[in-house]
Amino acid sequence: MPKQMTESLTPLNGISELTKPFPAGKAQKTASNSLITRIEGHGSVHMDWEKRTIKLQVTEGERLFEGLLVGRTAEEVHWITPRICGVCPIAHNMAAVKAVEDALGITPNPTTIILRRLMMAGQMIQSHVLHLFFLVLPDYIGLDRATDLAAKDPKAFQRALRLKEVADEIAACVAGRNVHPTTTAVGGFHKLPDKEALEKLLKMLKKTSPDTSWTAGFFTSLPYPELDAGLELLSLKGGDGYSVYNGDTIASGRDEEMSVRKYKEAIAEEVRDYSTAKFGSYKRREVMVGALARISINGNKLTARAKRFIKGLDFNNPFHNNSAQAIEILHFHQEAMELIEMLLSEGMNKTIACPAKNPPLKGIGAIEAPRGGLYLEVHLSGERKVTYANIVTPTVQNLTSLEKSAQALLERNSDSSKKKIRQLINMLIRAYDPCLTCSVH
Amino acid sequence: MMQRKAQKIKFGIFDFTDCEGCQVKLVALRERLLALLARVDIVNWRLGQDKGRMDFFNVVLIEGSPVTPAEVDLLKVLRERSECLIGFGTCATMGGIPAIMDQKERAKWYRIIYGPKYKPRGIDALPLTSYVPMDFLIHGCPVDENEIVRIVEELLSGKSPSFRGYSVCFHCKLAGNPCRLINGQPCLGPITQGGCGAICVSGGSPCYACFGIRDTAQIEGLLTILKVITDNEEIERYFSMFLRHTKEYKEIVRPFMEK
Repeated sequence: MPKQMTESLTPLNGISELTKPFPAGKAQKTASNSLITRIEGHGSVHMDWEKRTIKLQVTEGERLFEGLLVGRTAEEVHWITPRICGVCPIAHNMAAVKAVEDALGITPNPTTIILRRLMMAGQMIQSHVLHLFFLVLPDYIGLDRATDLAAKDPKAFQRALRLKEVADEIAACVAGRNVHPTTTAVGGFHKLPDKEALEKLLKMLKKTSPDTSWTAGFFTSLPYPELDAGLELLSLKGGDGYSVYNGDTIASGRDEEMSVRKYKEAIAEEVRDYSTAKFGSYKRREVMVGALARISINGNKLTARAKRFIKGLDFNNPFHNNSAQAIEILHFHQEAMELIEMLLSEGMNKTIACPAKNPPLKGIGAIEAPRGGLYLEVHLSGERKVTYANIVTPTVQNLTSLEKSAQALLERNSDSSKKKIRQLINMLIRAYDPCLTCSVH
Repeated sequence: MMQRKAQKIKFGIFDFTDCEGCQVKLVALRERLLALLARVDIVNWRLGQDKGRMDFFNVVLIEGSPVTPAEVDLLKVLRERSECLIGFGTCATMGGIPAIMDQKERAKWYRIIYGPKYKPRGIDALPLTSYVPMDFLIHGCPVDENEIVRIVEELLSGKSPSFRGYSVCFHCKLAGNPCRLINGQPCLGPITQGGCGAICVSGGSPCYACFGIRDTAQIEGLLTILKVITDNEEIERYFSMFLRHTKEYKEIVRPFMEK
């Protein structure tokens, strides 16, 4: 194959000559190996211009979390799994406590549930703000780095910083730290936030409320590229409110919902020789998970203010996942205020719930992480040590759909220059908000 | 003006296999990150910007553990091209959570997780110092914002950065935390470098020493107390969370446990 027919999509970032193709040999012919910038984790795109095909190669090293959990105690699972991803550690922490509680037959008290939902609201805002302002926005306003926005549009940049701050503050106040929680326990919390801290947080949230409306308005009106990718969207459904913390079924809107207990039947993972991340599918179909999917399935549960922005969403265009994330920032910001008001008016129960007498010792924790459905299954021994762990991350589910959407984008823009196509593909990848770190785990 | 720009410190931020939580901490500095960016020229930062060059660096922060051969190669090149190479976060400084598993176990789990046909890309999860000498290590899982600022300020003013002269116990006293050891709960705080604010213990979690072992730590003294509180298995679980690749673990902890 002529060399010029194949190339890598991304700016080289200087290190292409230093990274080895994977697997050695075969991939060498079709691509150089350069890393996609402004996404979580390490991956590169391989284009075959002659065959007009695209492959997403994930090169993140394997950490084998499912193995290193084995032998650890039930209380250590939620300490270890947040380290899968520093961008959504609370989601991994929550999936872990839920899985272990399921295995031990534990029912946490209502205060615990409200606090966890509050943590999840903070997690969503943290992750979405980082993604939209820091990783995505430079594409649409012609900047190299998000912090350059400080000079170009200081007001907008201040809004981004305030939202990042208030989201980090929710995490710090409830979870003990903005990255990797310290207060959470199986059955409840080691430590509850005090009333004064919650009141202060509520004040901060009220002050930043205009920033969330602005963000939703701004990101829903960016000039996203047009694309009909024929998306199938998948999200958890049921449970409280917007189904993020305790949705109990997996819903696609195209066919019958499935219980999260059947997550393994529903979501299959395939190993591909060019990637350290597996590729997921739902009943053998490509599905997109994340904010756009959640709104498509649970949009009727959004707050009234958030609902106002749904109208312009195109559920067949993955670029609109960015808009959906901005709408969710508005939603979760409001939800956080409501949850804090509930805690302040109802008082807090600090009891840590105890295991049942004859627990099943097998449990599943399912949660909507910022990037979509996250499943953790654990089996415990009689001594409460982990004997088996299985983790299915949102990005694993998204990778298959991402490749398909990239193919659709390539076909739609076949007349464009290679440079333009390269740019569009990178923007598409960022719209899926892949967390390659999570996807390999 | 041009000349001033040319004199700016050339700064690189690289990440190997990890959770990227330490870079999230860097972004969480917000206004303080802007102040830093104004003082240095970031010539390579994959997560933060498109532009990336591989020329000579005055300072390089490396997050993550070099798990794949490509990462090991890049680490060696960065060593050659950097004046000051700094490990950023516990994956970089001690191997982190992935280093709980040794190389032999890795082979087994590759088969279980990926199947027998899969050709693994990773070799092992080891600290950066297993491959090249480092100039300084910023420990923490994740790193602490104030520690980043303190250490980078020392670097930018031409000083050699140093560790805090106290252990996690000092933070616990300031925070008014009840002592875990006195209450019969295992804790590695007494032998661990300060700087974290005892954030885990304050939140009700154990201290697994992610900030690394202090120079003058009385490890055998702590082990003697731990043996009274709990069994070898739990002591091993505490020490193997982050410390498996430290000299002290191999030379003091293991022999003590085998006694």
